[in-house]
Amino acid sequence: MQSPISRADLQTLLHEADAAARRLIRKLRLSKDDLADVRQELLVDVIARLPAFDPKRGSLGAFAGIVMANRAARVAHKVKRERRLYGAVPTSLDETLPDSDGATRGDLFSEGEGLSAYFGQPVDAFAEVERRLDVERGLGTLDPDDARLSAALSQSNIDELVDRGHAARSSLYRRVKNIRLALLAAGLKAA
Amino acid sequence: MISTVTKLPNARRRIDETDLCGWIGQAAPGEALEYYRGFLALDTFSQAQRLTERERAELVRVARRAWWASEQKLIHLVQRRHGADDYSYLAIARSTPKQASASLSSLLLAEVA
Repeated sequence: MQSPISRADLQTLLHEADAAARRLIRKLRLSKDDLADVRQELLVDVIARLPAFDPKRGSLGAFAGIVMANRAARVAHKVKRERRLYGAVPTSLDETLPDSDGATRGDLFSEGEGLSAYFGQPVDAFAEVERRLDVERGLGTLDPDDARLSAALSQSNIDELVDRGHAARSSLYRRVKNIRLALLAAGLKAA
Repeated sequence: MISTVTKLPNARRRIDETDLCGWIGQAAPGEALEYYRGFLALDTFSQAQRLTERERAELVRVARRAWWASEQKLIHLVQRRHGADDYSYLAIARSTPKQASASLSSLLLAEVA
């Protein structure tokens, strides 16, 4: 766009953004709180693309409608992907529960049900300490060289150790097999 | 006194090294496992030809692993005589050593350094 947008053009953009955002909210069954965010996202996108607007090819309203339709499709795709990952009905952990004296939805979840646990991170501090003691006891049953190899394998894989000249590949695999059996006998299962 | 001895399942007469290690890892103190029935000294001797070479090699591994576990104070090794050249070789689980004998932090620090 060669000239700054007029007040009328701005009204057109605001109107188009508002209509598109409401359509998207209704289609995706998002909460009313999301309306302002979606509207802003659509508006920012169309403003960023205004330099490409050519009045000879159509009206500003039509241009804004196409840009916002594309943007809305991307927003819808993102929302659907998040729902596939985290569940069909998006809810906020900070949402206050009715008749709960200020308790939020997040207060109902234990650490074991949290995002850390979902991604496989340890959440039980006592279990973590016990596992560490088990690992140390298991390492104590190993030959010192094998214990050092175990520590090295926590940072590198076999290929990297071979490249660094630790030992021959067959020798390393033989030692890893022995380490696995020793740790199994110490009560440690493979992860 | 041994309260119960875990016998080998009929369908699979011999346990391998992994089975033995798995049992040691989960056994409660006092539990016993018959990890071999026969005459170990003879059956592991290559010229005796009482087992196939493959079975003999696995038995050697099991016997060595049992000895290693005994040295690590994880099990007691005992045997029960049934008749001529016929013994049950038993592993009896011991209580787990309480003190850690290798520091994970030291090993990791040494690796990083």
